[in-house]
Formats: sequence, structure tokens, C-alpha cells
Amino acid sequence: MSNYNVVGKRIPKLDAAQKAMGRAEYIQDIKLPGMLYGKILYSKYAHAKIIKIDISKAKALPGVHAVLTGNDVPEKMKMGFYKDNPPIKKGKVCSFRDEVAAVAAKTPEIAKKALGLIEIEYEELEGIFDPEKAMEKESPLVHEHSKSNVLNLPWKLHYGDVEKAQEEAAFVVEDRFTTTWVTHCCMGTSGAVALFDASDNLTIYTNTQIPSLAQKDFLESLKAMGLKNKRVRVIKPIIGGGFGSKLDTYAYEHIAILLAHKCRKPVKLIFDRMEEFTATSTRQPAIIDIKQGCDKDGKLLFRDIKMILDNGAHTSWGATTPSVMMMPITSLYRVDNVRYDAKCVYTNNTYSQAMRGYGNPQATFAIESSIDMLAEKAGIDPIEFRRINRNHPGDITPQGFKITTCGMDLCLDTVEKELRKTASNEKSVGIGIASLIHVGGGARIYKSDGCGAILKIDDYGKVDVFTGGTDMGQGLDNITAQIVAEELGLLVEDINVVHSDTDVCPWDVGAHASRSTFVAGNAALGAAKKVKAKLLEFGSEILDTPAESLVLRDRLIFVPNDPEKSMPIDKLLRKAHFSPGGTMLMADHFYDPANENLGKDFKGNMSMTYTFGVHGVRVKVDEETGKVQVLEYVAAHDVGQAINPLLLEGQVYGGVVMGLGYALSEEVVHQNGKNMNANFRDYKLFTAKDAVKITAYVFETPDEEGPFGAKGIGEPGCVPTAPAIANAIYDAVGVRITNLPITPEKVLAAIKEKKKRPLN
Amino acid sequence: MKPFKYLSPTTVEEAISFYGQHSETAKYVAGGTDVIVKVKEGWIEPDFLISLKKITELSDLHKNEATGELSIGAAVTHATLEKSLMIRNEYPIIYDAVSNIGSLQIRNVGTIGGNLINAVPSADGAIPMIALDGVVLLHGPDGERSCAVKDLFVSPYKTILKPGEILKKITIPPQRPHTGSAYIKFGRRAAMELPLIGIGVLLTVEDDLETCTKARICLGVAAPTPMRAFEAEKLLVGKKINEDILRQAGETAADESKVRDSVRGKAWHRKEMIRVQVRRMGLACMEIIWNNN
Ligand SMILES: Cc1cc2nc3c(=O)[nH]c(=O)nc-3n(C[C@H](O)[C@H](O)[C@H](O)COP(=O)(O)OP(=O)(O)OC[C@H]3O[C@@H](n4cnc5c(N)ncnc54)[C@H](O)[C@@H]3O)c2cc1C
Repeated sequence: MSNYNVVGKRIPKLDAAQKAMGRAEYIQDIKLPGMLYGKILYSKYAHAKIIKIDISKAKALPGVHAVLTGNDVPEKMKMGFYKDNPPIKKGKVCSFRDEVAAVAAKTPEIAKKALGLIEIEYEELEGIFDPEKAMEKESPLVHEHSKSNVLNLPWKLHYGDVEKAQEEAAFVVEDRFTTTWVTHCCMGTSGAVALFDASDNLTIYTNTQIPSLAQKDFLESLKAMGLKNKRVRVIKPIIGGGFGSKLDTYAYEHIAILLAHKCRKPVKLIFDRMEEFTATSTRQPAIIDIKQGCDKDGKLLFRDIKMILDNGAHTSWGATTPSVMMMPITSLYRVDNVRYDAKCVYTNNTYSQAMRGYGNPQATFAIESSIDMLAEKAGIDPIEFRRINRNHPGDITPQGFKITTCGMDLCLDTVEKELRKTASNEKSVGIGIASLIHVGGGARIYKSDGCGAILKIDDYGKVDVFTGGTDMGQGLDNITAQIVAEELGLLVEDINVVHSDTDVCPWDVGAHASRSTFVAGNAALGAAKKVKAKLLEFGSEILDTPAESLVLRDRLIFVPNDPEKSMPIDKLLRKAHFSPGGTMLMADHFYDPANENLGKDFKGNMSMTYTFGVHGVRVKVDEETGKVQVLEYVAAHDVGQAINPLLLEGQVYGGVVMGLGYALSEEVVHQNGKNMNANFRDYKLFTAKDAVKITAYVFETPDEEGPFGAKGIGEPGCVPTAPAIANAIYDAVGVRITNLPITPEKVLAAIKEKKKRPLN
Repeated sequence: MKPFKYLSPTTVEEAISFYGQHSETAKYVAGGTDVIVKVKEGWIEPDFLISLKKITELSDLHKNEATGELSIGAAVTHATLEKSLMIRNEYPIIYDAVSNIGSLQIRNVGTIGGNLINAVPSADGAIPMIALDGVVLLHGPDGERSCAVKDLFVSPYKTILKPGEILKKITIPPQRPHTGSAYIKFGRRAAMELPLIGIGVLLTVEDDLETCTKARICLGVAAPTPMRAFEAEKLLVGKKINEDILRQAGETAADESKVRDSVRGKAWHRKEMIRVQVRRMGLACMEIIWNNN
């Protein structure tokens, strides 16, 4: 349908071969002259006073350059938006993951040995690991300086009148759903290399999804260290996976900075796999009480949700996931009366972070499971029930989201058709579906949702794009190259995308909220448009023809059907450059979408556009073992325009497999705050052999604001997977599993419970 | 990781003499998929690794057609067993077990000998070897000796091997006609999975294709070492095999097991899996017997 030359093409990831051949340089590969190796010592207790630390033996070990404890951390150096987390703890530890000391040494082995020589006397305190218990008055306080374990955060809204709607409802369902910790499992473990120049300016190589905000964090750290008016340069090596894990700055980065400054040498701090499991942040766990009601025709009348979030001992973005949970809560399906109240509670567990979907998968698990329950109670087919309540283009949701394009109807029809292809009367086989809404046009969670791009083009028609956007493996470099190539009539291989360095790249708020294609794409497109205008101007002069008649395509500038008026673009560029008063083409553009910050009552059009999708699944449940086998998976999304269908499908496949792990197998097992499965043997990440065939339907609903009509699709793939599975299990064997992951053990226990046979 | 010296003897005698020179500071290594993990983690710190890979006799896999005896060299890899049609057709329980170990990469280097000597309760390779009445041949500074695979294990990570002893091969006695065998590893994932419970069953029946003359019910992760459920086996011998009796055998085996709660899984579920899977594996054995007749 479209007349695009590069956009919409299945162009393989530009860096795929390089990565497959092991040539890509990750943080692990960075080695600087004189570089030292840092290592962190973690707490031995979930909750304890530090009575005494003796570092003398560690310091005396040959090869050790520095040993830091909480006493060496400036008072004002605190991490996270709640500023409750110094990079090394002093006086007290509140979780096993708390940093108590750090060393820098000549080799990693010496650093490790030095950690073993640090002597710490602790006095263990009573720990609190259950957020509901932590809310009780008698419970020990995780942080004595706060009066309660409940954080002071504003997650509360009420639109319409839930009480009244409940009275009017013909059918009401109510249940509790719980989700647990899961982790990103990036193949590349975390790490940073920090170094200072002679005048105390910092360069830090680090895996980050937020170069500009990380730069700001590090500047604050320098300030806290007494280093005022210094510069920070953040360099990103190739990143082996993000998924939200790199949306905040971590202790290891600030510790690397402190060590580098103390030693006046570059310091590298790399996590091993166990640290990656124990000392990076998880997906936010949630206890969700949900009540929904509809009228006798199945029209959804109200949704009432209360949540308790285990905040862990410190605060990162996990505590802000309710801001995104509000999106499905207020706006997935038409529902006028909505109430939501979430409490984040300190415990002595690990703390959480952003993770693909940012709260949406947790909320959608509860909402979409509950929708099925409500449909059943109302005696309406669950797919039909969703059709009755689906979102429509032009809707303004109670939270004030303006729905522009919405392909939910198409997605519902398609998934239903696919699932109904196979007659489903086989025993223990069932189908389930679940829908999703997600931001598709950026999300204003910071003062700016912007991204900058600078573009220059050389004498040979080769372009460099310096973008604020971060490619962490998802393929933003490809997308950027395709957008620019399309606009300038060039080929993807003519475009070099530079995204790695805050010294050369403009500002960007970060690779989050499925925003990069939309926002960074628009930034690059804006710059390309400016260059294009100049190209056309030159072309018009040199080819002696009106600019409007010129077309840029396949490295040529030409008037269609006029062979006389055609010239290779590079030749045109040279003519422009090498004539008297010559010029070269370059342009910059900063794009900040016109989306709104949420107001006091959390109302506002957070995103320029929203992405919708429906997932359907057919499962077979082994009623004797509780094992769930996924027979078929259909994922339909409305995506605006696929800039690159290959990468887009990749996002869907990856999202779904991640979602399946969330649904069926993954969990970080904590016992009294201690991570019990910090390895890939016991952390049940789906393997290639577990992956199932996924049919991905991509509906193009070109969006007015998106670059070439594109919407974001990074996160949606993993949002509705768990409820689709839970609904299918219910359809298959009549048991409703309300807590994730849905392990064979839980399914079997539920089946037995249903049959009222005792467990033994 | 602490550095080590890598020695590559070409005969068993040479390997043993290397061990004699370095004693406790040395460790035998075959595929290294257990040893190297431990070295990297710092759980063991050998100065010498004595590789058994160049000792050709250890990689020998053959069946003596005259006697019907199967001989599996200790250094035969899981992949070799998995790809052997003879194994697949005549010893399906071995195939079932080794074809689901770890991943392709692990099976390409990991060996059956290493699997046995590493001696974890979850060793997939141990169950078929026990069920098939395998006998290990050990060779040490004091010469050779042999013992049944079922008596090889002492406790987790501990076998009866004396310092310096090498496992040379596992011998499987000839199988009687009308024998079927099957193994299932029950876990959450399809690959890279430590079994929640491993269940192997072998049944031999009379010419009537019903009456059981021999039964082996072997369980992994059901006790500190791989175990046989003797009572359950006894229950089957002399009886006509059907779903009912297999169900009873499953119950008995579950009672015999010493399963525990752990972070990986609850005891009640493991027990339940023994019940279900003993029956299912028993039925799978019968199907093999009928198909082969
Ligand atoms: C990722 C991964 C997945 C795995 N998955 C599974 C699985 O699914 N199921 C399973 O059962 N195991 C699994 N394992 C464990 C391991 O791969 C197997 O136990 C394998 O068979 C070990 O064989 P190896 O040759 O690598 O042993 P090695 O590591 O070489 O040796 C293991 C032990 O045996 C000793 N040894 C080896 N050969 C001899 C010999 N001939 N004589 C005397 N001593 C000897 C060594 O000294 C050492 O103590 C996995 C391991 C990894 C790393």
C-alpha cells in the first residue's frame, strides 16, 4: 500500500553479524591503561546494625589500591528518585543486597580476596519481609527515620463514582491476584568503567538506557563529592540487553566513580552472573485486590483496585510503576468509574526497577483475569464481552487519554478467528485471550519527553546521525537509519548512527516507555527533513527545475519521467560543497511530543498515541502433573506503521516469550530476604526449546504523529501474556490461578482442591 | 579462577601415575561440565587437571553381539549415546535420559562417566544405568574392581571411588526378550533443566506379554542418592501388568521415596509425580514391549 523504499522493509539488524561473530565490544571488553578492578562486598544479613568494620587487613593486601566503606561516601550521595539509598551503607544494612564496602585492586582476583579480608561485626535486627505485615504498627521499621514503612507516594485516583456504579451493577466479581519478583536476565551483565582526567572531569563507560539522566545523576554525585563545575561524559558500549534494568543508576556506577577518584586511575566494576541476579533490581511485585462490575448486558460499569507493592529496602523506579498501571486500570476497555489506590511498603527484600511494561503486565494480569471471571458471571462469551467494552478511536478515557488510532477490534476479530480454527472439544485443552493498551507515542514522565538528533552528510552521500536515542539491542539504530534513508532517498548502508556518547550526542530522556521509534525516530526525521529541504533547494538550482518536482530515491535526485533531470545525490553534494561560497549539509532537530504531564488527579494525555493488542493462546493442561503446554499463540497488535517488520515481529516474539516465562516459570525465590536461585539453573528463564510458535499479526494503523505513522511496540508483547494463559487454563480445566508464576505445582494443587482430594 | 595445569595422558595407567605424582592437588576431568564450573566458582582449586579425553579406550561404545553385553566407556558423551540408533532402539531408557541433559553444547562434551562420578541426586544418566543393572569397572593404583551402579553412590557428590581410581566403563548385562524401559525427567523447562524428579522404569514380561518377571523402578532427586524403589518393584514381579497394578507401584514408590521440600519444589508434588510417572513410564515400557513383538 505504501510507496516507501526503505521504511517497511525487512532489513536485518545492522549489528547482528558483528555480534554473532563475537566482534561486538561490550563493557566487559573495555580495558584502559592502568585500569584497576573494583568489587563490592554485600551485607550478610537482611537487617542488621553494623557495629564495626575493620578494613586494615584488606588494605594491607598487596595490589589493593583502595577500600571504601559507608564512611567514605559523601553524605549527600544518594541514589533513586526517593533519595533513600547511598551507594555504600553506613551504620545499618536493610537487605542482603546492601553494599557495605568496596575495593579497587590490580586484578579482579586480588579484589575478591580483599573482600574476604574485610571484617564486619553485625548485630542482627528483626527483619520484615511481608509488605502487608510491614504496614502494621507493631512491625519493625526498615528505616527508623521514617515513621512508617509505607512510603509517602501519591498513588490514588477516583474517577466517576465507584460506589454508585457498584450498586447499579448486575454482576460483580472480586479477587486477589499476586505477582512476584522476576528479573530481566540480560545476557550482558552490568558494569561500568570510570575515570577522571587531570582536572577531575569524569568519563564513565556504562550500560545505561538513560545516558542524559545518568549524566545528571553522576553530576550530582560529583557535586556531593565536592567536585563542582565538572563535566561528565557518559559513553555507552554495545549493550547486551536492557528491558528497563538500566533506567536508573546503580550503586556499582557510583562506587566505580568513588574508587576511580580515590585511586586516580580508571576503575572497572563488572558484575558476575550471581551479582546480576542478586544486586540488580527486579520487576515490581504486587498484591492486587480487584473488583469489577458490569450491567446485565455486559457493559463494564466500574473497576476498583487496591494494591500493595513490596518496595524492598530502597527505592527505585519500581515504586513509580503505579503511574503506568493507571493506564490499563483507567483505560483498558471503556469504563467510566475507576478507583485505584496503591501503597508502596518498605521491607527487607530487594528493591525493584522498571521492567518491560513498567507495571502494565502486573495490572493487566489482574484486570484481564478478572474480566474473564466477570464475563462468566454475566454469562457472556469472554471474547464477546471484550468486544462490548473495547476502546474506540476518538475515545477520551477517564484519565484523559485521547485515543487516536485503535485497532483493538481488528485484533479481537483476528485472534478469535485464529483460535476458533481448531475445534476445541479436546479434554483439558482450553483457549484464553487478553488485551492490552500501552503508550505508543512516548510518555511524559519527566519534564521533557524529548530527544535530539544531529545529522550531517558528506561528499559521498554518507550520513552520520548523532542521536540521543539508545540502542540496547532492540534495533533503534536500524530504525533510525531506515527513517533517515527513506527521507533522504538513500540506502540504509549510507547511514551511520552514533548513539554512544553524551559528548557528541544530544539529549534524550531515555530508552523507555516504548518511545524510541516514535520520539527518537521523529527527532531523526525532523533533522532529515531539514537536510532534505536543502538538498531539494540545491537540486532545484542545479537541475534547473522547481523543487516540488524533484524526488529523492535510490541515491538519486530526479524529476520522474525526465531522464535529463537526474543526478546522483553525492554528485549534487559535491557540487554544493566545492563551488564558491560552498556549503555542506547538516541539521539538528529536537523533538518533544505534545504529550502531557499527568496533573494532580493523574489526568492528562500522557502519550501522543496508544498501542493496542490482543493475545490468544491455546493450552493443554496435564491434569495429573499440573503442567501447562502452550499449543498455539496468536499475538495481534496495532502498530501504526512497521518501520521494519522483521524487528517489529522480533519485539513481539521476544515480548511473548518473556511474558510466557512470567506466566509459567520465572520467579526470583526469596527466603527471608535472601535470593535462593541466583543462577540460570534455578531461575527458570524460558529456553529456546521452551519457546512456542507465535503467530504475530501486525495491523498497520498509520498514526498521524508517528514517524511515517509508527507507534511504539517495545513493551506490549509481554503485557497480556500471563492473563491469556491463566484464562486458557481456566477454560481447559476450570481452575483459576491467581498468583504468578503458574507452576505445575500450583495448577495441580488447584485441580486437587477442586476435586477435594487432600494433599499429602 | 585459580590457574591449573592441564595434563593429557593417553592411557589409564599414565593417568593414574599422574595422579600418583600430584595426589589431592590433581583432579580427573572428562567433559569438564561439572569440574570446570566448580573451579570457576572457586569451590575446588586443583593445581592439575588430568584429562581423560585422550584415552581412547574410555570412549569406546559397543555391544558384544555374541554375549549381548553392552559396554559404555566412561568418556562416551551424552551426544554419542543420544545419536546411536542401537541405544535408541534397544535401550530407550538411556536415550530418554541423555537426550534431555542440559543443552546440545553440554551433551556434546559431557560424559556418562562424569555424570555418575559427580554423583548428584539429580544425575539423569545414573537412573538408566541403575535400571539396566549396570556394573562399573574401576581401575586404581591397586588394580581393578567392579561394583553395581546402584552401589556406587554414597551421598551427594560422593561415590565409593578411592583416590586416584578411574571409572573405565559401565557394562550392561544382556537384556532379556520382552523388555521395555523408559525415563522421564519432570521439570518446569524443556532444556537446561534440573529434574524436579527423575523416574526410570524397566519391565520384562513373559511370553504372554503380560506377566512381569523383572521390574526396576529408579528415582532421581527422591533421596540423597539415586535410588531404587524395591518394594514397588516387588509388587510388580509375578503380576500381570496393567494400569491398576502400575498405579499401586506408583503409590508404593512414592512411599519409599525420601523426597523433601526445597526451593525447587515441594515434597507433596514430587511424590505425586512419582505416583503418576511410575505408572506412565510403566505403560510406556509395555507399549515398547508390544511394539517390538
Ligand atoms: C549448563 C549445564 C547443564 C547441565 N544439565 C544437566 C542435566 O540436565 N542432567 C544432568 O544429569 N547433568 C547436567 N549437567 C551436569 C553435567 O553436565 C553432567 O553431569 C555431565 O555428564 C558431567 O560429565 P563431564 O564429562 O562433563 O564431567 P566432568 O566435569 O569432567 O567430571 C565430573 C566429575 O567426575 C569425575 N570424573 C569424570 N570422569 C571420570 C572417570 N572416568 N573416572 C573417575 N572420575 C571421573 C571428575 O573428576 C569430576 O569429579 C549440566 C551441567 C551444566 C554446566
